[in-house]
Amino acid sequence: MSGTRDLTSPSPRGRGLGGAGFAVPDFQAFLSTPLGRSLARLLLALVLLAVWQYQPSDKLRFWMSGPIQIVARLWTWLLDGSLWGNVGSTLLAMSLGYVIGTSIGIALGLLFGLMPRLHRVLSPYITALYAMPKIALAPLFVIVLGIGIESKVALVAITVFFLVLNSTLDGVRNVDRDLVRALSVMGATHSEVIRKVLIPATLPWIFTGMRIAVRYAFTNTLLAELIASNSGIGFMIEYYSGVFDATGTYAAILVLVIMSVGLTELLTQIEARMSRGSAG
Amino acid sequence: MRRRFDPIVLWQMAVGVLLLGGWELVGLGPGGVWTSRPSLIAAKLAEWLQGSIYINIATTLTEVVTGLLLGSAAGVLAGLLLGRAPIAAGILRPIVVAFYSVPLVALAPLFIMFFGLDMLPKIVLTTIVVFFLLFFNTFAGATSVDADLIAQVELMGSTRIETFRKVVTPACMVWIIGGIKTALPYALVAATTGEMLAARRGLGFLLSDAASQFDMTSLYSALFILMLLGLLVGETANWTERHLLRWRHAEG
Amino acid sequence: MPKVELSAVSKAFVTRDREVQALQPTDLAVEPQEFVALVGPSGCGKSTILNLIAGLLQPTGGTVRYNGAAVQGVNRAVGYMTQKDTLLPWRTAADNIRIALELKCRAGPRAEVEHRVAQMIDLVGLNGFEKHFPTELSGGMRKRVALARTLIYEPETLLMDEPFGALDAQLKLLMLDQLQTLTRQRRMTVLFVTHDLGEAITLADRVVVFSARPGRIRTIRTVELPRPRDVFRIRFTEAFAHLHESLWDELKDEVTRGTDV
Repeated sequence: MSGTRDLTSPSPRGRGLGGAGFAVPDFQAFLSTPLGRSLARLLLALVLLAVWQYQPSDKLRFWMSGPIQIVARLWTWLLDGSLWGNVGSTLLAMSLGYVIGTSIGIALGLLFGLMPRLHRVLSPYITALYAMPKIALAPLFVIVLGIGIESKVALVAITVFFLVLNSTLDGVRNVDRDLVRALSVMGATHSEVIRKVLIPATLPWIFTGMRIAVRYAFTNTLLAELIASNSGIGFMIEYYSGVFDATGTYAAILVLVIMSVGLTELLTQIEARMSRGSAG
Repeated sequence: MRRRFDPIVLWQMAVGVLLLGGWELVGLGPGGVWTSRPSLIAAKLAEWLQGSIYINIATTLTEVVTGLLLGSAAGVLAGLLLGRAPIAAGILRPIVVAFYSVPLVALAPLFIMFFGLDMLPKIVLTTIVVFFLLFFNTFAGATSVDADLIAQVELMGSTRIETFRKVVTPACMVWIIGGIKTALPYALVAATTGEMLAARRGLGFLLSDAASQFDMTSLYSALFILMLLGLLVGETANWTERHLLRWRHAEG
Repeated sequence: MPKVELSAVSKAFVTRDREVQALQPTDLAVEPQEFVALVGPSGCGKSTILNLIAGLLQPTGGTVRYNGAAVQGVNRAVGYMTQKDTLLPWRTAADNIRIALELKCRAGPRAEVEHRVAQMIDLVGLNGFEKHFPTELSGGMRKRVALARTLIYEPETLLMDEPFGALDAQLKLLMLDQLQTLTRQRRMTVLFVTHDLGEAITLADRVVVFSARPGRIRTIRTVELPRPRDVFRIRFTEAFAHLHESLWDELKDEVTRGTDV
């Protein structure tokens, strides 16, 4: 049974459709091809955009704006350069927070892995801190660090730290004890065991954690910008909605979507390249 | 059968005492303006427990739970229906995947602009965030149900609805539960963020209100309650999984 | 009228750009209440034939008839026990066995359903394991659940694809015995795919030997051993040995040919 679902002949159910026997089954089959699907998506997008732009109510116009105005606003931003500063601010905060959080997370994760008793003693406190929605720390950071990029970085760093810490700990826990023993028996010193067995064996988990953390870094950068910042895409969304400028808000959201999709693409490419590298 | 007393608990308590003690000492010194201290925080919590905290907790919880229920129901339904409509699924899938990764929580200001200060914008935000998570997960589950299981039940004589009820839906449960586990903390984040941006009540509001008045004691107290809430949410997620997916954890 | 009839049935699969001929034009007629065993090397199309009869696949050429009518879509008159056990992992053993009786097309009074489920559990020797989930059961036990859930609704025709492959020798014999009793009692028609020639001869009225891929029928031999057969002792009889030897010669050729390819 498995794996041999029929690809060659029409499904018995499908044969009954379309009495005339020409248009309907072919249409359905066409929609299953890559070309058919792309066209369908294009059509869908165009219809939605048209409805958005040309919806009749004027009252809604204030809240909904329209694709043409939004793109026009975006174009203005691109021309006068105001967009890049904010995009840059978001990316910078995200990257700094990511790097800091990852480094400390890996270091502490390995440390705890090597000293399991220390970890067990501290683990309820770590769990408690982990459970708190990190965004709640934003006001605290603003008070302590001010409204600039530092508080954003701190928030991202803490979020990423916890994620990477967890993954690293998972990895260390999963290291095959036999491998460690095998090397010890051969006469390896403590640090040699760490370098030759522990770290390489933990790497897959660390990478998984790092991969997941990127998404959270992006999200939390934006959240931090919403709550307390004067630059960044999140700030833009907050600012324009605060002055009831719907077009500006949507334009900023559009930038957000583009950045997000771009980030996902970038990650996918990096992963593809990395797995090719390791397979080769 | 009594569990043997684990000595590690003593160490954990010792660490806790040390931390609280150290905090108290720092708080009594010049840095106390920033850090407050446990005794003050405890007092503030006690004061809140007299009355004013409950409305805030209730507000946040209502926003979270409402958004969760509405978003899950809509997301699961949409995921199941679309998942089993192969043509629509094929067309929509890349769009769904692309938009899944957009941090929807960042749209909070948009909804506040639309709906104002009260619970509605937070509920809408939470619902949408949960919807997308659950829709995507259910969709993935519905499109990956083992065809052999379906064929087997059809051979036995099941109708389409019966196949859907007896095979597709339970098969998706793993994905749905996974979605709920992810959605729970996100719902809390969404509600809290919304409250911090603009609200009259709620734990997030308490937090940002305390911050704006530089009332560190209230700030830490609110953080503490949020931490408890976060733990509650996490435990609920775990419990849901353990309970509804018993068959997965059964080991031969 | 034969229960199952294949007339010049062939099946080719298209994967990427290659076309794989799984089954060459084949004729086969199975009479009602007949027990037919299909043996042959791996990949010779035995499972494909079962899938065709069940209506899960459509033939590339020829016609598959069941009770005289061409098979269109899923054939609900057959019970199919596949090689890979398709138990629903979220249901206990008992719930899995019960499922066919839960369907609308077969609704019955609750007490009777429970009685039959209990009967089945007893039959396949799974008492005490009713409330276990498939992940908690061994491979052999899962097979027994699959057998029980197929037999419980007494389909008029039974398709079985290496159902007892994973069982240990003693259990296999027990199951073969039960299968013989049940299928004769309920007058079922059976198509039984197996690698084990001994199994085939023990139970079947006729043994069909397939050639290596692309599959076609090489030989059909009637098993003249008297019924009912003593599953546990029949392999020690002379008649069995003769049949086994001559069929094995046929089979051996195909198996070696298959492995060369």
